[in-house]
Amino acid sequence: MKEAENVLRILKETKKFIEDDNPFELKALSNQTIHSATISQDGDNIIVAVLVYSLGKVMERDSYRNMEGWTEFYNSVIKNLGLAIKTIENKNIENTRIYLGRIRNSLNKISGNLGRYIKDVFKKAEINKAFKLYEHGLSTEKTAELLGVSLWDLSSYIGQSSIGDAKVAISMPVVKRVKIAEDIFG
Amino acid sequence: MKYLIFDAGPIISLTLNGMLPVIEKLKEVFDGEFILTPQVQSEVVGRPMKIKKFKLEAIQVKDMIDRGIFKMSSEIISNQKLDKEIKRILKVVNGVLRTVQTGEKIRIVHDGEAACLAFSNLCKVNNTLANSDKKAGAHCVIVIDERTTRMLTEAPQNLEKMMEQKLHTPLDANLSLLDKLKDIKFIRSAELLFVAYKKGLIPIASDKKNKELLDALLYGVKFKGCAISSVEIEEMKRLG
Repeated sequence: MKEAENVLRILKETKKFIEDDNPFELKALSNQTIHSATISQDGDNIIVAVLVYSLGKVMERDSYRNMEGWTEFYNSVIKNLGLAIKTIENKNIENTRIYLGRIRNSLNKISGNLGRYIKDVFKKAEINKAFKLYEHGLSTEKTAELLGVSLWDLSSYIGQSSIGDAKVAISMPVVKRVKIAEDIFG
Repeated sequence: MKYLIFDAGPIISLTLNGMLPVIEKLKEVFDGEFILTPQVQSEVVGRPMKIKKFKLEAIQVKDMIDRGIFKMSSEIISNQKLDKEIKRILKVVNGVLRTVQTGEKIRIVHDGEAACLAFSNLCKVNNTLANSDKKAGAHCVIVIDERTTRMLTEAPQNLEKMMEQKLHTPLDANLSLLDKLKDIKFIRSAELLFVAYKKGLIPIASDKKNKELLDALLYGVKFKGCAISSVEIEEMKRLG
């Protein structure tokens, strides 16, 4: 795990914001992991980015709290975040990964719709974080690889953003590029 | 010989817009080959074949390979030679940007994009298997929708600036490493559709030179991942 200190801080704050019921801060916190994930491309950093963002999304949906399985999910999050924090502090990173993984695995044990809904939140969070890495300058295929998402899902997501409108991304005048296309077609 | 080398992005944006038949129409008027590398084939056929949501799209692309509209790069350059060049390119481009604080390299591009650059490079220096290409390098253009690979070769200083701003950290850039990639030419799915529109090859409209059609085509690919700005689209519409 790269930048373990930073991951530890983020997990501690995540636990606090969940206990304080503060989804807005949770989502802001997830963005802090993206800078380091772009540079290090470390799987642990990326997992934490997805986890924190997903938890922010889940916490802001009040309707989930009245659904069957909510208490079990919430308790699993708090318990496993606490254990993950302890294992990082003890430099037992292998176990950190296990506890973070258990948060997502706990969804398989929830009956009813809640598990399905939250799994969907995690899936969309992966695409969102892949998009963030692309926004930070990595190529589409690089980001798709790092997050394990398909380019097909990522393409539509990128298309809905204003990322292509940035002036800095225009690397050649339109007329010149059109000429290249017209020239090769003769 | 002319080669139009396709990255995965343009095939995805065209397929998701129902515009894959335009590639076939363009091939009919193209005096050369449309190329897919194995890495790109895996992204546009292999992987989506396993995803129910995109399986139908993957089958359509596979059909175009089977019918020879797309030619596999191995028919022109051996996979062994291509792989060697991919590794070389990845080493170069993924070593261009480093953080000032830690000196850590930022790995920007992946195999699929690197494969397109590699094929283009090899063709230009007469590495093709075809005899006719041995005297002079082939004319290659890469069709790529994502911005990073294009910026890396066309405006690397812009990429450096953008990443510094996004990462909030200064970067060291060794841009001279990219000198050998400077001559590579790129177009996007947007320019492909523009050419098809100009040639009257869009199969869906009776009025094939309708400006509304061009508007719809260009925004269609933009919303499916083609890195093109609204300003660029408006300029292309004026050219159309």
